[in-house]
This record gives sequence, structure tokens and C-alpha cells, in this order.
Amino acid sequence: MKLKLRLNGTPHEMDIAALKPDLELRIDGRSHALRETGGIGALRRARIDGEDIAYHQARSGNRAFLHLGGRNWIVEFVDPRDAAREKVQGSGDIRAPMPGVVVSVEKQPGDPVTAGDTILTIESMKLQTNLTAERDGVLAEILKSEGDVFEKGAIVARLQEEEDSDA
Amino acid sequence: MRRITSAINTASAEFKTRAACNRARVAEFREMQRAARDDRPERDIRRLEKHGKMRPRERLELLLDPGTPFLELSSLAANTEYDGESPGASIITGLGIVSGREVIIHADDSSVKGGAWYPLSVKKIVRCLDIALENHLPVIHLCDSAGGFLPLQNQVFADRYMAGRIFRNQCLLSKAGIKQLALVFGQCTAGGAYVPGLSDYNVIVRGTGAVFLGGPPLVKAATGEEVTAEELGGAEMHTSVSGTCDYPAETEEEAIAIGREIVQQWEKPKKWECQRDDPVPPHYDPQDLYGILPDDIKKGFDMREVIARIVDGSRFHEYQPDYGTTLVCGFANIWGWKVGVLGNNGVLFNDSALKGAHFIELCNQNNTPLVFLQNITGYMIGREYERDGITKDGAKMIMAMTCSHVPKFTVMCNGSFGAGNYGMCGRAFDGRFMFAWPNSQIGVMGGEQAANTLADVKAAQMKRNGEEVDDTVLEELRETTGRAYMEQLSAYYATSHLWDDGIIDPVDTRNALGMAITSALNAPLGTPGYGVLRL
Amino acid sequence: MGHDTPPFKRILIANRGEIACRVIDTCRRLGVETVAVHHLSERDARFVRLADTSAEITGDTPVAAYLDADQIIATARETGAEAIHPGYGFLSENSNFARAVEAAGLVFIGPAPDTIDLMGDKIRSRQFAEKNGVPVAPSVTGGEDIDAFVEKAASIGFPLLIKASAGGGGKGMSIVEGQQDLLTRARTARSEAERYFGDPTIYAERYIERPRHIEVQVLGDGTGKVLHLYERECSVQRRFQKIIEEAPAGHLDPALRDEICAAAVRLSEAVYYRNAGTVEFILAPDGTFYFLEMNTRLQVEHPVTEMVTGLDLVALQLDIAAGRGLSLDQSEITLTGHALECRVCAEVPEQDFMPATGRILHLDPPAGDNIRFENGLREGTDVTLDFDSMLAKLVVAAADRPAAIDAAKQALERTVLLGVETNLNYLARILSHPAFRDDPLHTGFVAEHEAALAEPDLSPHEAARVLMAAALTFREFRTLAFDAPEPYASIGGWRN
Repeated sequence: MKLKLRLNGTPHEMDIAALKPDLELRIDGRSHALRETGGIGALRRARIDGEDIAYHQARSGNRAFLHLGGRNWIVEFVDPRDAAREKVQGSGDIRAPMPGVVVSVEKQPGDPVTAGDTILTIESMKLQTNLTAERDGVLAEILKSEGDVFEKGAIVARLQEEEDSDA
Repeated sequence: MRRITSAINTASAEFKTRAACNRARVAEFREMQRAARDDRPERDIRRLEKHGKMRPRERLELLLDPGTPFLELSSLAANTEYDGESPGASIITGLGIVSGREVIIHADDSSVKGGAWYPLSVKKIVRCLDIALENHLPVIHLCDSAGGFLPLQNQVFADRYMAGRIFRNQCLLSKAGIKQLALVFGQCTAGGAYVPGLSDYNVIVRGTGAVFLGGPPLVKAATGEEVTAEELGGAEMHTSVSGTCDYPAETEEEAIAIGREIVQQWEKPKKWECQRDDPVPPHYDPQDLYGILPDDIKKGFDMREVIARIVDGSRFHEYQPDYGTTLVCGFANIWGWKVGVLGNNGVLFNDSALKGAHFIELCNQNNTPLVFLQNITGYMIGREYERDGITKDGAKMIMAMTCSHVPKFTVMCNGSFGAGNYGMCGRAFDGRFMFAWPNSQIGVMGGEQAANTLADVKAAQMKRNGEEVDDTVLEELRETTGRAYMEQLSAYYATSHLWDDGIIDPVDTRNALGMAITSALNAPLGTPGYGVLRL
Repeated sequence: MGHDTPPFKRILIANRGEIACRVIDTCRRLGVETVAVHHLSERDARFVRLADTSAEITGDTPVAAYLDADQIIATARETGAEAIHPGYGFLSENSNFARAVEAAGLVFIGPAPDTIDLMGDKIRSRQFAEKNGVPVAPSVTGGEDIDAFVEKAASIGFPLLIKASAGGGGKGMSIVEGQQDLLTRARTARSEAERYFGDPTIYAERYIERPRHIEVQVLGDGTGKVLHLYERECSVQRRFQKIIEEAPAGHLDPALRDEICAAAVRLSEAVYYRNAGTVEFILAPDGTFYFLEMNTRLQVEHPVTEMVTGLDLVALQLDIAAGRGLSLDQSEITLTGHALECRVCAEVPEQDFMPATGRILHLDPPAGDNIRFENGLREGTDVTLDFDSMLAKLVVAAADRPAAIDAAKQALERTVLLGVETNLNYLARILSHPAFRDDPLHTGFVAEHEAALAEPDLSPHEAARVLMAAALTFREFRTLAFDAPEPYASIGGWRN
């Protein structure tokens, strides 16, 4: 199996080619060597491609926060089950791009929508954003109502599944 | 234990000749294997793509833990049958690691004839489940089969070791607490429906996975009812209505991810404690095996040289080094595990048979698994030897070997002829795993002897009928009977019929045995004891 | 300065987060006991722990609790506080609150309520400034008599910004470059104003290109004595909020600086200003400057001023509030070196500075003599949308501006703050931009350099390094990498 990671939003694929004596990883097709060399608490050390690296790390769920080389990084572990679901449902789900609160709901379940139509308006840090349909379809459900709060990535509305279009 | 001192001169002409010959053999084997794995009609590949299906080996790679080995079994099953239309018998089986647990995998190869089961497909699945039963290995079924191959249903369906055996084994596995998981990627029709049905856990892919006793055409024919496969036995219905399936998956990737998560919940089995040291690679390069094995089956080689290229550190404690010298016996380690090795260095005489029987008893007393390295032309024949009781001494060895409660493993290194096959743990003796090298041959007797014998019998028959037998006729007879016989002696013929668990490259032997032994230790040892030894 | 007894025995801090911590810090030094007020959601916050005592306040939302004047005053009385420090935001510029505090017999650590009212009113404060010789952006209102309007507008000078008096959102707004377009544009603007807002009144003001935000820190004791602590520049802004501030301003002519500071003092003297305050100006590239507004409270960016003057503004606020007046003289206030403040925010610069949420998992701030990391964070602190997205202020001082920029960049790079997306990398990129160092800043800096400030593409090598380090933190990876059973792990990815 391969691991899927997202660094600053960009997807990467990681394969473990060998486990011993050092980890041999293939990342986006390139070969790399990795060995964990120690650390206490958030501070860790690793030998990466022959270079000793010290860095700080912390993890929250599927997200790793790193401080490495004077910069901060967020790497997301893509759960294969979530990824599979996204792949299928993808554009039918309307997800909150940021945490916030629903200001108004513009459509009702059953309404036909065209790509770009506003389904609802949310507010986050005094900034209102319209959440729009990514494709044409029929609105299946709206999961949040006015005043509801939500986290980033929450599905706020869903379009009906697309009809199979194969001939 | 001490390191074997090799007498091989890798610079010698003989070594080079042998190496060239054996490398060519292995190249031929690798090419056959590649073709059996990858060469598929364009039409079949396109059909899989159209349904959004992965190829079976892609599924396998997604399922297995990265950086861990997969020991494929019987990769060339059915290679001599069905005009080559069922590569690998349309089934992939093998030992692998999923979520940190050893499992055996049975995967239908839907990239060939929709994954239809040929007679040898059934034999391969049954063997896979037998391995699971004998070694207490959890099974993961990757189901995607059109069902039994109808034109050959007479060899698929009815007998004791045919399709029913698959389901019988599934029941016994579950009863024994050996877990099974089925991932349903395609249709599981009729008997095939019981694979997920009898698995402890199963996952079904929405849209492509389906489980039913009779598919839509059969239903239409039987009752006139018109129903789609999805309605009849799709993921939605089975996971929410019938309860036949446990987990719906949106994609094959998700099904595999769910499967990996399920396996992660399983208890990790405790292995019985075979004596173990830290593994070290052999001191001598396993590649030397190519130059050690002969280019002609009649030429000999010292089995100690082979042992030195398989066992840890090339270290070997030889038992009775000066007695019964045609059978080399001793202790060694393979990937850390202590094993007792028996290897042929010539025909089995009375003393070598007795030494073998005794050594097998020592290994049983010591709970040490047995590894047989076969290169045997048989037990010695002739008046003197019969008078010395070669039959009863051979019987002692066969009795000791058969009744061993420690697991046994066999490698067909070169020749395997006559009763020697039995004494050295042939297929019939329930070794846990048996591997063959591409150069190996197996038969009641060697090719030349058989050709001569057959020709002699034929000539005698002709003489009785008053026919003229001249040398050219005799030669022709020898030639034709010999050729047919030789084909059946070949390792490819044997592996095609599942007489072993697959041909392996000799240099892979250490890894194959290492995995086989490690897996075998999941099952508890049997009860010690022997039958009546004819003394 | 130099008092033996604390200005107050105990004060209540009607605020939270870093500013509450900042006030507590000075109080501790002075021997003033502190009472914090907190919403239930922040009961374990750093400021709650640092305060001598803390009382829970309630509200429909956490912010509502801090806006509940009655509750806070009642809490102050119950806890025996003599005075209330409002910090910034919340009730700090609420004159009714200030009056209620005084009516309750407590001291409001801030200006007189009438001053708050005056400075809080855009029109009145502007008129007041103008009356006291503080320049305001020239403007003209009208439109009934279009010719008169055009004549007056032309006298302001070009370019001009014309907009509907009643309007907003860009409707009816236009920039006029010269005399030739003025009449037509004014007519269009008037008809659009009529059409969109039902009111044809239009308004013209001087349009300032590349404006700088310059503000002056003042201190007044309420008797008419006002000191200035020099200026700060806060031109680097995103979404109309400051993110990098400095003192003194870079690339500023000393004579102009004196002029601006004098204007700020003039305005403050005229209101008999009491408390620390900030007079904000817009500075045009041609050196003209205009009054924007006066903030009658402690400013977020006050530490840069403290770093270059060596003064403790909170201590001075307390002294003034306690009636001890200002013992300092203007001549005693000198500028030493240069200080920069970077506002570390929980946000995603790449996505239009969208606020981010999370939890502080690890905090290892940079340390040093000339570094202040003003924050209210602890490990475990939740970063929510309940409050502003600012997590901390990194304040760095050095001998001069280039040195301060380098030091601030290094300090940013040493700041380990894990658990929420932040603008730390972005701030470092701003400081690294040559224009930040070499050219006068302006409020459009972030927009002008948007492309250059974007997250640079990673080399595959760099990405792989980060991914590998990150992979080691994931349980899923660790299980695969380190828990594979033997001998399989040693055999590796072998296939037969």
C-alpha cells in the first residue's frame, strides 16, 4: 500500500520500499532514506538522506505540524477511506472552506442548481462567503441552518448523486 | 555449529558452464512467470478498466503492508493445461503481511476469462485453504470470479477435492478460529457466493460487487423475474437489507482500506516457540547456486554446498558425518529459526535410511522443524540390499518422517525419483510447503531408464506377436515414449498440476523457506508418536 | 516614576489574551494585585493563571461577556478592585462604560469619558482637529450646484476621489486624475448616487496614492500636559488590519517626524488628554499628512514604542490614572534603536488570510534580550473563532532598522508554534522582501507584492524532507515502518 500525504495542500504519494536497516521511502517516485535518531517531547531528530535534521513536531488527528529549517509546515495524512469517499462524491458535497457560522440559506432541498449557484452564505471573521454548487444538479440536503456553526471541511449541503452517464 | 568450508571454485570451467546453464533456466522461468502474471488480452484489460476495476495484482499491492515480502505460491499453475488459457490457474495465492499480521491471500484473477474457475483453479484455492488450516493462517479472499468454467464442470464440481472442498475448508477454518475476510470486487455467483458468505468478515464494493446464488440471467430463466445485478445482490442491498455483507465500500481502494482496518482488529497469534537466533545472511553468496547445480541431471553435486548458500551464516552442525554419507543430516538456522536439514548426496542405502530415520526422531524430540533438500534417485536396489532389508529400512525412514509432529518443508533441488521421493517428504506426506527449482525433475524413475523400460516392454510385446523388432524401430520407440515421459518429468508439468507450491529461483530459497517456516509456527505442534517401526 | 508605593492595591483587567498578560506583567512588577475576568471557555487560559485571582463572567458568546459593562463593574466591586484597565478593543473606547466605572466609585484607567466621545465621532473629531491646526484630508461635499462643487473640488488638488456621501461599496466612486475629467465624473457620480442611494450628495477628497500609516504615541495627565513618545509606522496591513508595525518609521524625514509629532501633541493638549493614546495619520508620498483618528487607549502595537523609548506604557497609564501625573519631561524621552512588531495570527495567508482554528500543541517562543513574545498562549489553548485571530506579537529591537529586520526574521524563524496554521512564514517573507527594507512602505504593500509574497514552490528534495519528518509523527506510518513482524521486516519488499 501507499500513503497519501498533503503538504501545504499539495498531494504527495509515499511508498515504503524497505524497512531495514534504514527506511527506504519512495516519494513521488524518488528514493529517500530515513532513520529516526531520537528526540524528547516535541523535539525530534532524524537522519534524512544522510543529513541529520532536528525539528519540532506535534500531531492533531490527521495533521502534523512541523517546525523544520526555520519554517512551519502542515502535513496532512490522507486517510484512504476518506480519500475514497471524496473521490466518488467529490463535487456533490458542498464543504465549508473555513470554520464559521451560517448567515443565510439560499436554496431548499429539491431545488435544481447550476454550477456557481449560491447554496448558502457563511460568515467567518466578519467576512461573508458564498458557498456555491460545484456542478449542476439537484440539491439533496442542507445540513446546516441559519446560525449554525461548523468547522473547516464540514459538509454543509449535498447534491443528489449524479445519474450514471455511461452509454 | 561451524561454517561449512566450500570447495567450490567459482573460476572453474565447470562452474561457469553450470552457471550459464542454470541462469538460462531461471531466465526462462522468469519469463514464463512474467507472461503468466502480465500477458492478458487487450479486451480483458479494457473490460476491467471500463468497470473501474483494478487488476488483481494492483489490489494485492494496495492490500499488503509496504516494505514487506509476498511469497506467491504456484505462480505457474495450469501452465501446461487448457492451451495456456488459464495462466496461474486464474488464481493468485500467497503469503503476505497485512496490517502487521501474516495472512494467506486468495485472489481471483478477473483479468482472464472473467476470473472463471478451471479445475486447477479449484485445486489451487483448496490448496490455499489447506495451507491456512494446517498453519493457522488467516485468509483474505479477493473475490472477482465469473464462477466455475462450465465446459469443464465435470472436473470442477462434484468430487471430494473439487469446489465443495473450498467451502468445507472455509467452515473448518472458522470453526478453528482462523479468521477469513472476503473483499467482494466483482460478482460472486452460485457457489462463489459462499466465499464471502462463509467468511467471518466481508466488504463489498458498491456498483461492481455482487453476491447471489443465481445471477440475473438465471433468475430470468427460472422465474421470469427481471432484476439488475445491483438490485439482486449489490452492496446496498446486502449491507442494509440481507446482512449478507458487512461493509459497503465506495471504491476498490476503500474496500481494501476497510479490509486493512478489519485485519488490524485481529488478535496477533502466538507462535510456538521454535528455537531462534538472530538471523544473519549466508556467508557464501546464494548466486553460487547457479554454478553448483549441474547442467545435466545425471551429474552430481555436494548438497553441503547448497546448504551453505541457504542457511544463516552458512553454519551447519552435521550429524553423523561419517555414517550413511549419502544422506547429509544436521542442524542449521534459516532466518533465525533452528531447523533440521536432510539433503541427498547420492542414492539412499540402508545406513543412510537409518541415519535419516534417527535424525528425524531427534528433531521431533527437540521440536525442530525439518527441511528436506531432495536430489534423490531412489533407495538402492539389488539382491544384497534387499537381503540387508533396504525396504524395511526405507520404511523406517518413511514412518519416522510421516509421523513427525514438527512441521516439514521440502525443496526439489534436482532429481526426485522413485521411493526416495516418499522418504524425503514428497507431496503426499503433508509437508507444510514444497518448492521446486526450475531444473528439477520428478517421476517414478529417470527419463532414460523409463524410455528404455518402456521400449523393452514394447519390444517384448511385439516379439510375442511375432513381429520383427530391429534396432531402428527400437530406437524410434525409445525416442517417442521418452519425449512424452520427459515432458511429464519436468518441474513445469509438476507445478502446473499443483504437485508443489511453486517453482522458485534457487537464490530465493532462503526467503521462501524463511516465510514458510515463520508462517507454519502459527499452528501448534501435533502430538508426538510413531506407528510400528519395522526393526 | 520612582514611587515607593504601588499606584493601586488591586485592579481588574477587563480583557483577555496577550494584553491581559501584558498588563499583569507590569502590575506584578509594581506590586499591584490583578483580577482577571474570563469566560468559561477560557478558564485555563494563561492570563487566568497569571492573574492573582480570576472571576468567571458569562454571556451568550464569550465576546458578549467582555462587552457586559454591568457585569464587569459588579465583578470589580465584588473582588475589591480599585480600578479597571480595559486593554484594547471590547469596552476600552466605550464612554458609557467609563462613566459607569466612575459612577461606581472606581477608577477607569483611560481618558475622560467626554474625550472618548469626541474622538470616537468621526466628524466631530475631524472638525476638532482642523480647529486646532491639525491637518485633515481636504474634502468638499455638495452636488446641488455642480459648478460650485467642481470649483471647490479642483482647489483640493489632484488626484481626487469622488464618491456618494450616502454610499459605500464602490458604487458611484471614481478617481479623477485631472481637471479635464472632473466635471463629467462629478455628473456621473451624482446621477449614480441618486440612482443607487436616492441622495445626489457627493463628496470629494484628496486621493492619496501609496499612503503610509503613521501614528504618534502620546501620554497626557489630564492637566494639559502631553508628551509624545514618537511615531510608529503601521503600513503593512492585510484585510485592513495591521500585521507589521515599527518604531520609529523607516525612511522618514526628521523634520517631518517632528511636525507630525507636534500635531499629535497639539491635538491631545487641546482635549486635556489623559491616558496613553495614539493619534493616527495618513502620510502621502509628497510629505503631506492628514489626521485619521485618535485611539484613546493602549494600542496593540505599543511594545515597539516601549522598546525604543525604554518606557513602560502600562505603568505610566497606572500612574496617570492614580492621579500621580507625569513626572517625565519631553526632553527625557529619547529614541534608541529600532523595533519591529510582527502580529502572529492564526490564519492562512494563501487563502486570503482566512482565519484558522486549532489547538496550541507546542510553543517554544524565541528568547533574547531584545525580543518580546507577547502572548496569552499555553499548550492546550484552543484557538477558536470566538476572538480575534491574533495569537501573539513578536517584538524585536536592534540598533537600527536593517538590524531589526534581520533580528525579527531570525526570531520568526525560531518561533515554534504548533497546532494551528499561522502567518509566521508569511511574515518572514515580508521581512525578506527587498522593498520592505529599501523603500518607503505603504498600506498597499501586501497587495502590491502579492505574487512575490506567495508561498514559494518547494523543491522535491525539500518537500520530501518535510514529508519524511511529518510521516514519523503519524501512527499509521509508524505502525508500517516500525511494527512489521520479523523476519518479514528484514526480508523487506521481496517478491518471488
